[in-house]
Amino acid sequence: MSVLQCRSTDIYTDYLRDWKEKGGRVLGYACVATPVEIMEAAGILPYRIKAFGHPDTELGDSYLARFNCRFCRSCLQLGLDGTYDFLDGLVETNGCDHLRGMFENWQYVKKHGFFHYLKVPHFVREDSLEYFVEELGIFRLAIEEHFEVEITDDAMREAIGTMNQVYARLKDLYALREQGKPVVSGAEVMQVICTGSSMRATDFLALLDKMVEEKARGPALPCKARLMLLGSATDEVDLVADIEAQGGLVVTDALCYGSRSFWGREGKAEEPLRNLAEKYLGNLFCPRMFTEYERRRDFILERAEQARVDGAIITYNKFCDLHGVEAVSLRNDLENNGIPVLVLEKDYGSQADTGRIKTRVQAFLERIEGGSRSKSEATHWRSKGE
Amino acid sequence: MAVQAIRPYEGLINRVHDIFSIVDKLPYRMSEEEVEGILHVLPSDLRKTMQAFLAPRVRKNGLDFVRMIKAWLDGAHEAKRTGKKVILVPFNFPPEIVHCFESAWPVTSEVLSTLGVTALEGQGERYWDYAMGLGLPDFSCSANMIEVGSCLTESDFTPDAVISDCFASCDINSKTHEFLARYLDIPLIFLEKTVDNSERGVRQYYRYFMAMIEEIEELLGEKLDPERMRQVVEYANQASELYWELWDLHKFVPCPVPNAFSIMTYGVRYTMWGTEEAVKVMRSMVETSKERLKAKEYPAPEEVARSMWTYTSYYFDMAGFFNWMEENGITHLGDGLDLVFPQAIDTSSRESMLTGMAEIARNMPMTRQMGASSMSVQWLEDITWAVNELGADCCIYCGHHSCKQTWSSAAVVRNELLKRAGIPTLILQGDSWIRRMTPIETLQELIEEFVNNVVRKKRRRPSREG
Repeated sequence: MSVLQCRSTDIYTDYLRDWKEKGGRVLGYACVATPVEIMEAAGILPYRIKAFGHPDTELGDSYLARFNCRFCRSCLQLGLDGTYDFLDGLVETNGCDHLRGMFENWQYVKKHGFFHYLKVPHFVREDSLEYFVEELGIFRLAIEEHFEVEITDDAMREAIGTMNQVYARLKDLYALREQGKPVVSGAEVMQVICTGSSMRATDFLALLDKMVEEKARGPALPCKARLMLLGSATDEVDLVADIEAQGGLVVTDALCYGSRSFWGREGKAEEPLRNLAEKYLGNLFCPRMFTEYERRRDFILERAEQARVDGAIITYNKFCDLHGVEAVSLRNDLENNGIPVLVLEKDYGSQADTGRIKTRVQAFLERIEGGSRSKSEATHWRSKGE
Repeated sequence: MAVQAIRPYEGLINRVHDIFSIVDKLPYRMSEEEVEGILHVLPSDLRKTMQAFLAPRVRKNGLDFVRMIKAWLDGAHEAKRTGKKVILVPFNFPPEIVHCFESAWPVTSEVLSTLGVTALEGQGERYWDYAMGLGLPDFSCSANMIEVGSCLTESDFTPDAVISDCFASCDINSKTHEFLARYLDIPLIFLEKTVDNSERGVRQYYRYFMAMIEEIEELLGEKLDPERMRQVVEYANQASELYWELWDLHKFVPCPVPNAFSIMTYGVRYTMWGTEEAVKVMRSMVETSKERLKAKEYPAPEEVARSMWTYTSYYFDMAGFFNWMEENGITHLGDGLDLVFPQAIDTSSRESMLTGMAEIARNMPMTRQMGASSMSVQWLEDITWAVNELGADCCIYCGHHSCKQTWSSAAVVRNELLKRAGIPTLILQGDSWIRRMTPIETLQELIEEFVNNVVRKKRRRPSREG
């Protein structure tokens, strides 16, 4: 489907151009901890910042350093070179140290009229939840004041309802990739999620409906091994496509441009801000959340079990502190559950890494094939915790 | 998991403790020949450290400092022996909070790593390598990972719990603490810094702080005793007063405060603050500096540069760093880790002391800057203030490779320091605790070039004549 974004030249899409020409406003955000429903309820298009493996970083490197994650440097590059000039403002979150640096430098240079720092606690407890509820109220007020709009509770409830439908539809899409004979590839799913994070929710929902319907009728994809991809922030569709070109089909993921952006997103409270606080803070399957490792591990194991994966690739960008440390425990826990693991530290968007990655993936697939030849189907999957 | 390759007596804490038990016996009065003789028999890595601490201008203070560290390590061993809980804390957590408890003792990971680097032959690299062998990333922070690597071998003295307040100010250290606690299966108590300097953010931080105190009380089965707290806080208040006295002495030109006092100051701050031993070392540094001011002593013919190090310094060659700089006329006025902003705490009640300690914790280095509403703004404000206070004429950013948060703000801070205060900043790259990345000779060369080509040509007027 040609409307799907997959490279950095696709950032300013026809859809966005049309939206802007009609006077629509767009706010940029980067982290899955940002409740897009508040922007949706304000009639604003929430745009999740992406770089799609953009290889140039020379402007970004004037502010961030080579010791910072290259994903953030690539996004900053696009922020500074004018690619993101269509944004009407930025919403910073304290997702990680690199991301905070990216936003601070972006704002230092570009000085957007609207710049809001949404502070997200690193743990879930009654006191941190209360703080986050207040924080969302401040965010709502900041948008109302700057954009001179009213964000009513009804509008928020409607936005929450629409997003819940989007999440349900995304789960349908995941079912099509996780089923016995997958009909949708990992690269396609990443494109869909990236595209959806550049659209208004209602339009994305319509696109998803169409896509799920079309894909459900589509042919099964060839697959030498069923893989799970997990790790740090990456929107590199090409990376997933390269992995799949080696014969391993990415049948599920735990990526933040993947399942971690919508799975388990539930809030119980009637009051919309509290509902969002529960929904987001309570369901952030991200290593930025401390003391929740076991929850994340169980989520990953559930996804792996559901998709009956033959192996998992943990990938993270060089200098990604959160995923770099987390990968050690995850590798052990996955392997202890009978899932072979490839830990792939990589430089984001670097063409120089492509050959090395292909070789390592090929070797991993051979390891999986060798492993499955020596194991019977019955003993292949051990349930978690064993 | 990696194969256990380190024998029990080879753990960092145990080895450092043994070495300090010997160094501790050195007398205050020694002839230069005796010092030379001692240095001659020491292994080369320890020699560089002792050369710095036994330099005539800091010898008394160096020995006072070493004795305090020995007492601190003894305290940890004694705690283990008597069934108290040894709690691993990071440098940005005020250790006096742990000292307030009868049944606990703090050990500070960055200080232990530094001791490993400065006292052990091989500079503790074996512990770093062990951690890397487990798969931990090579962009981890060596300040933590050297000590943590030793703990991970499970062959060393290990803590009974971890308190981490790196949440929201340093991802890599937060994750490292979380990993260590899970690996050793010991409790992790955390204190998050609200990245929010507003009144609301401060209030929330105090809430988190009080919740943390309750958790420590529960872990130890001990309620904070106001009398014991008062004693600790009074010592901390005395040390704070001496800190500011030493701070003011830095303002004189040439600077009468030896460069090595920078690390000694925070070596005290991060270990024994709130004890009599800390007061003693702080007082000894103030007295020495006053004597040097009176005698107009400076190690070089001329003070050619007054440098403020914006974050950390380098610690793998104390003599090659601190001594070399001042012997070449380059004053080290302090670094980001010296910016501990101590304040006198009201000792009138348990609440007033707890609130005072919460405020101290909120303003510890790194927590204060990197856990602020804006990392670059707060860091810039603090450095600009220090530069103006102390009459610095240049800044140097060490570029410790693992400090991704400071790296991500370094360009803004450098640009704005030049614009606002006319102060040039040298940005270096290296690992402050591991010599493998950038050797000391290269750093010396870069510092020298910067001083000769930039700073000398742009000297500011001194704030106070000595």
